[in-house]
Parts: sequence; C-alpha cells; structure tokens
Amino acid sequence: MNLPNYFLADLPPEAVLSPVMIAEACQTLKRNREHYLAARSTESLIKTLSRVADGWLQADNPFRQLALELGPGQTGFSRETLARGLDNFFGRLTRDDFHALLVQEFGDAKRLDALTATASGQRHSRMAIVNAPEFQVHIAAGNIPNPTLTSIVFGLLTRSAQFVKCASGSSFLPRIFAHSIYEADAKLGACLEVAEWRGGNAALESALFAGADCVTATGSDEALAAIRAQLPVKTRFLGYGHRVSFGFVAGEDLFGSSAKKIVARAADDVVAWNQLGCLSPHVIYVQPGGEVSPEQFAELLADELDRREQIEPRGELPAEDAAAIATRRGIYEVRAAHSPETTQHWCSKNSTAWTVVYEADAHFQMSCLNRFIYVKAVADLTAMLQGADAIRGKVSTVGIAVPEDKAQEIATQLARWGATRICPLGQMQNPPLTWRHDGRPALGDLVTWTDFET
Amino acid sequence: MNPELSSFAARLRELIASLVAAEVTRLKSLKPDAGISDLIKSEPPHIGCYNHEFNALALELFALQFKHNSAYRKICEARKLTPEVVGHWTQIPAVPTVAFKELELTLLAPDERTTVFHSSGTTEQKPSRHFHSAESLKIYEASLTPWFLENVRTDLRFTIYDLRLICLTPPPEQVPHSSLVHMFETVRQTMGAPETAFVGKTAADGAWTLDFDAALAALGNNPQSAICNPQLILGTAFSFVHLLDYMVERDLRVELPAGSHVMETGGYKNRSRTMPKTELHALITERLGVPRENIICEYGMSELSSQAYDSKFHHPSSIIHQRVFSFPPWARVQIISPETGREVAEGETGLIRVFDLANVFSVAAIQTEDLAIRRGGGFELIGRTQLAEPRGCSLMTA
Repeated sequence: MNLPNYFLADLPPEAVLSPVMIAEACQTLKRNREHYLAARSTESLIKTLSRVADGWLQADNPFRQLALELGPGQTGFSRETLARGLDNFFGRLTRDDFHALLVQEFGDAKRLDALTATASGQRHSRMAIVNAPEFQVHIAAGNIPNPTLTSIVFGLLTRSAQFVKCASGSSFLPRIFAHSIYEADAKLGACLEVAEWRGGNAALESALFAGADCVTATGSDEALAAIRAQLPVKTRFLGYGHRVSFGFVAGEDLFGSSAKKIVARAADDVVAWNQLGCLSPHVIYVQPGGEVSPEQFAELLADELDRREQIEPRGELPAEDAAAIATRRGIYEVRAAHSPETTQHWCSKNSTAWTVVYEADAHFQMSCLNRFIYVKAVADLTAMLQGADAIRGKVSTVGIAVPEDKAQEIATQLARWGATRICPLGQMQNPPLTWRHDGRPALGDLVTWTDFET
Repeated sequence: MNPELSSFAARLRELIASLVAAEVTRLKSLKPDAGISDLIKSEPPHIGCYNHEFNALALELFALQFKHNSAYRKICEARKLTPEVVGHWTQIPAVPTVAFKELELTLLAPDERTTVFHSSGTTEQKPSRHFHSAESLKIYEASLTPWFLENVRTDLRFTIYDLRLICLTPPPEQVPHSSLVHMFETVRQTMGAPETAFVGKTAADGAWTLDFDAALAALGNNPQSAICNPQLILGTAFSFVHLLDYMVERDLRVELPAGSHVMETGGYKNRSRTMPKTELHALITERLGVPRENIICEYGMSELSSQAYDSKFHHPSSIIHQRVFSFPPWARVQIISPETGREVAEGETGLIRVFDLANVFSVAAIQTEDLAIRRGGGFELIGRTQLAEPRGCSLMTA
C-alpha cells in the first residue's frame, strides 16, 4: 500500500522543510479546523475515533498491515512486539473508554458541546462548558508511539487543530495513524499535520510555535526547558519529562503456580515496547519469604524472557545500543564471578536479546533497556523505597504483585512516597485512556473552563 | 618480584628492541614511507610473520596472569577458559575496563606498586586503577616510545629530536595518576625537551586547563621570536578546543613552521564543547597552520601499556580515505560484535578488544567500551559518545 502525500512526513527524505512551509501548514490547519472541526459534536468525534481504533484491531486493516510489515525496519520493534503494543493501545479507544475519560475530566461527557451542570453544579446554580485550544503543537520524543498517538486522539477529541513534530526517524507510526484518520474522515485528517525533523532547528520551530495556543512535549528536562524558553507567555505548555518505573513483588504471593504467573506478568512488562517507555520497569524488586526466592525469581524470569524471545523477538538493535548491553553485561559478569552470592546474571546466547541481573543490593539501577532487567531483593516496602530514594519524584509507575488485602495499604504508601501510577504487574505499559500522565489531568490541562452562574 | 614475570618482561623488551633495531636497518634501505607498520599493514589481523611468536607469547603470558592474579583467575574460571583449554590468543578471556574500577587487577604486591594510573573522567566516579612498578613502567615506556616515534614521522629534513615539543597538559607532578601525561613525559625525556614543554595546569577542581600565555609564547606568537624549527604539539581533544577557542576569540592565528605536527587524543569528557574530528582538525589547520596529514590521532587508555595511532603510513588501502588506527606488533586488536561476542567481519562495527603483551603485570586482554569499524589489521574509531548516555538515563549507571 502506498500512502498518498497528505502530510509533510510523507515527503521524500530529501525534501527540505522551510519555515514558510511550516507557517503555511499552520495556517491551513487553523482554517480547516474552523471549517471542519470546530462545530463537530463530541459524540461524532468519538464515533470516528473508536471506528478508526477498531479498524486497527482487525487483521486485514491496511494501515495495521502496513505498520506490521514496514514497522520492524522503521522502528526496530519486531512484528510481534508491534502487534501486541498496537492491540493494547487501540483496544482502549472504545466509546465507553471515551465516555469514562470525559466524565472523569469534566464531570459530564457533554461539557465540550454545551453548558451543562453536574448534580453538585445544579445545587449551586452553576453550569459550565470547556473550550480547547484552537491549535495544539506536539513535540514527540519518540521512543515508543503511544504518547504521540494519545496526544493526537486527545487533540481531536477536544477539537484542536494539531501539528505533530516527531523526532527524526520516529514519525512512522504517527504518520500511518494520521493516514488512517484521514481515510476515515478526510475533514478530520485535514486538521492534522505530521512532520519530522531533528529537534533544535530554531527556524522551523519558531515558525511552528508562533501560532500555537498550546504546546505539549515529551523529552529530557533540558529539551523541555529549551522548548519552554521559546514560547510566548500566553502559550500553554505541557511538558512531560523523563520518568522511570519499577515493579514490586511481595514474597507472600510467590508460591506454586501463582509464582509462575507473576513471573510471566513481569516478562510482559519487560517485553512490551522492548522496555523503552517511561512506564517500563528498570528494576523488579522482589521480597524474600515465598517458595521462590528473589534469585530464583530472576532465574525464572530469564527462562520466561528466553521463551518470549521465540514468540515475540526483540528485533535488531543499532550497534551503540547493543554495545551498551554488552558493556553492561561485562560489569555483572565480573561481579558475578567474584561475589555470586550478591550478583548473578543470565543472558541470551549469541545475542543481546534479553538480560536478567540479580543483585542483593537494593539501590535502584537504571537499566540500559531493550529487555535488560534488574531483579533486586528487598526485605519490605520500606527497604524498597529507601533503595529507590535516588529517583524519588521521577517515578511514573510502580507495577505491583501483592496480596489483595494489602494492596490498598501498599498503594497508599507508594502514593505518599510520590509514585503517580500504581497498577498490577504485567499492565505497566498498558495504561487506560483515563490515565493521568505524570499525575496531571488527562484532558484537564488542555482546556479552559467557562462557568455560568445561573 | 616474581621471577617468572620479570623474565617474561625482559624477553618482551628484547623483542621490542629487536623489532625496532631491525626496522632501523630496514628503513635505511627502503623508501621513506616504509616502516614497522609494513609488517602488519598488508595483513589481516592474525596472520603474518609474528603470528606464531605472538600467539606463543600471549599464551605464556595468559598462563602467568592466570596463575598469579586471583581476581583475573576467577573471571576466567567463571567462563571456563583456563590455560589448559585455551589454544589461541583470541580465546583468552578479556576483562572489561570497568573491572579495573572494582578489582585489583595487578600482579604487583602492594609494596611493589610505585605508580597508579587512573582512568580520566569525572571526579565523582570511581576511577580505573592500573598499578605500576619500576619494572612495569620500563615495559610501558619500551612499548610506547618506538611506536610513537614510528607514527610521528617527520619529513626528511628533520629528525624528531629537532622538533620543539609543546604538551597541552599539566606537567606530570601535577597529575601523577595520568597515564597520558606519563606518556608525554616519556616522549619529552626521549626528545630531550625542557620541562617547560608542559603548558597546561590543573584548576582548583582538578580540571585540566591551559596557561594560555605560556601556550601562545611556546607557539611562537611573538614577533621577536625567530624560531623556525618545526613544532610537535601533544594534547587531548578538549585541550585543543580550549586553545583554539581562545585563539578564535582573540582572532589569533599562528603559522607553525613546515614539518610541525599535532597529536591529539581522547574525547571531550565534558571538559569543553565537543566537535566532530573533522571540524577540530580543520580548526587546527586554520589556526596553527598544521595540515591534516601532519595531525595524528592517538587511541590509548590507562588500562593499556601500548597505544594505537591513525598515522597515514598505516593505511591498508589507498581506496579508503579514513585513516585507520593500528597498534604496534606486540599488541593486537579485535573488533567484537556486541551481539555475538565474536569478531566482526571487515567493515562492520563492534567493540574494541585489545591484547597487549606489554600489560605484563596486569591483564593483557582488555575489553574496551569503544566502538570501531574493522578495517584491515586496524580500526576506524567511532568512540564512546553514544554509550555514555543510554537514552538520557545516565544519572545512575554503574
């Protein structure tokens, strides 16, 4: 399937973007929004978006087929990893999910369409409506596609014209998604632009930012600060910096078949998007006391990752990333040879496909990712939080496998400590549509409210 | 002192000396462009007239290091690679450079250690430690000097002893743990240059800076100076950036005498802005008047006792325009695939592994963290820049 030239990202690689092209694209987007999007009902947008999402779940969908066929070469993810990631993502864009999101964010699913009042609003004689920014710009960092696709969906839902600026080499999936929207509803697709260039191009970016009402960006703290510095004060800026995540497994649960299931769930989180997202675990903390010790957990996880490699291979890596893994393995090989009681490691043979490092030391350790996971023993939750102190305030998700009767207490402690999302192990890279990114409202930061006191 | 190791070290020094002597004789009868490098330049890495001898020496040294270095022995045993089963130098277990941070990879008893070289880098990191004694430094110097002289070739009008030396680093007494400065000091003594050749200094925080006045005076930026002998400037890439930035800011330019040479080494280590090699070299040519062919890059590290150079004489083929790094015949390089752990094919990228016979008293087989492309018997350096920042999460790497 050949994609038509609808977006700047469709231009051949040798095409050079100019500030004039960017400025014109922004003008066109705003004009199209005025004509085609501003007056659309939320319900009709939900209908289109959920139809597009449902299409992506069908095996014969041409966009899905294209993504799976060319994706491995374009993104580095294997076909199987892409398929699972896309299924998880699009499976959460149903009409019910959208309604739940709108109710969570605005108290009423019709807030974007009309002045409405919740029960509490009625008691206080108050109605309200929300308006979204006319024109949103997304600066996408691009390790994995989900954040970018989510931004596009939220932008359409709130009726904004959108310009998605992808990091160089990362526009492939956002671009195909944009085409799938265009095909479903050309007018909607005309309110969307996707382009790709290496960040830091001041001429292009100032043309882009000039007309933006709201800029969302993911990236390093330095990258976010650099973007923010370029924006006029009136422009709303939503920056999402790097976050890290980890898992916690209570000893009580590590018995018999339950232990095996927990290991499989840990493997799900390591394999999903090759561990490259902010929600992917760097470390799985494991409490002793169960039938399976933390070291045995690490070994079982190694077996499971080996099995997964057969059915959902990691895919090839650039030499730099493979070298990072090989170098890191070298460190642990030396440590394991000298202190096997505190360090062990398991590696895929003749490849860097997966690596498990067991350490008795509870200090949080950044992984070099691409399915390189640390398993660390911790006496209890307090010891884990002490071990993770260095990343306090930078934590997104904690995936937990704990006894049901203790889950709420543990979640409360994690929340007080600063984690912004706690979920079952195995679901770390699969947040619901209602997920509050970095603890911020999902849509609430985009919109502006108007209150009407009756 | 371990007699077995001392005997090995003495034999190695003799071997190096005999190689050098043979070359001096040979050079006199050959065209000016030939040299020791001819021994390896046309050969794939493990074939050649020294192959048999190198292999025998490597296996012998491995057996000694396995026997006398328990830290190394444990690593070998964990890999099930012992002298009984290893039959070729390429099978000898290499230790990652990071192991020098955590283990005492030395065959020197504590009271024999007179010197320790640390890896460069930020001060808060635990540095590598490569211990030396008077005897091991003798080997170090026996290895570095002839290969340096071989690679920093002067034209026919001058010998290396005619060149005026400038080292853009602090002098050795200020940085006793720098193997690089020890190397420069060895070169200085060999050349008979004055101690004032060192024009760098250390700042209060230990960072290396330049005494710009001294550097510019040495460069002859003085109208009264009538010095016309060519110069040899040695420094790190970041020290050249410091110097060149200073000169650009003040719009200074010097035209060093014909035959002047520059040798630069190492990365930037956050000590200056970084710039691509080609840009650095162009700036050196622009501001110092030293043409590209007289700029030599060195590749070395505190964990090794031999160095590689990208001297133009080592070019395996005139078709390839990149210059290729080569180690001396007593050290060999392999480019290792990070995926499979095996040597990559010609033209492919992998991690540099060095087997350095001159590392008699530590570990001869060293696995570096540097990426390179295999080119003939040498390599084209890519470096470590990308590895240092694994996806912006470098804050807490081991």
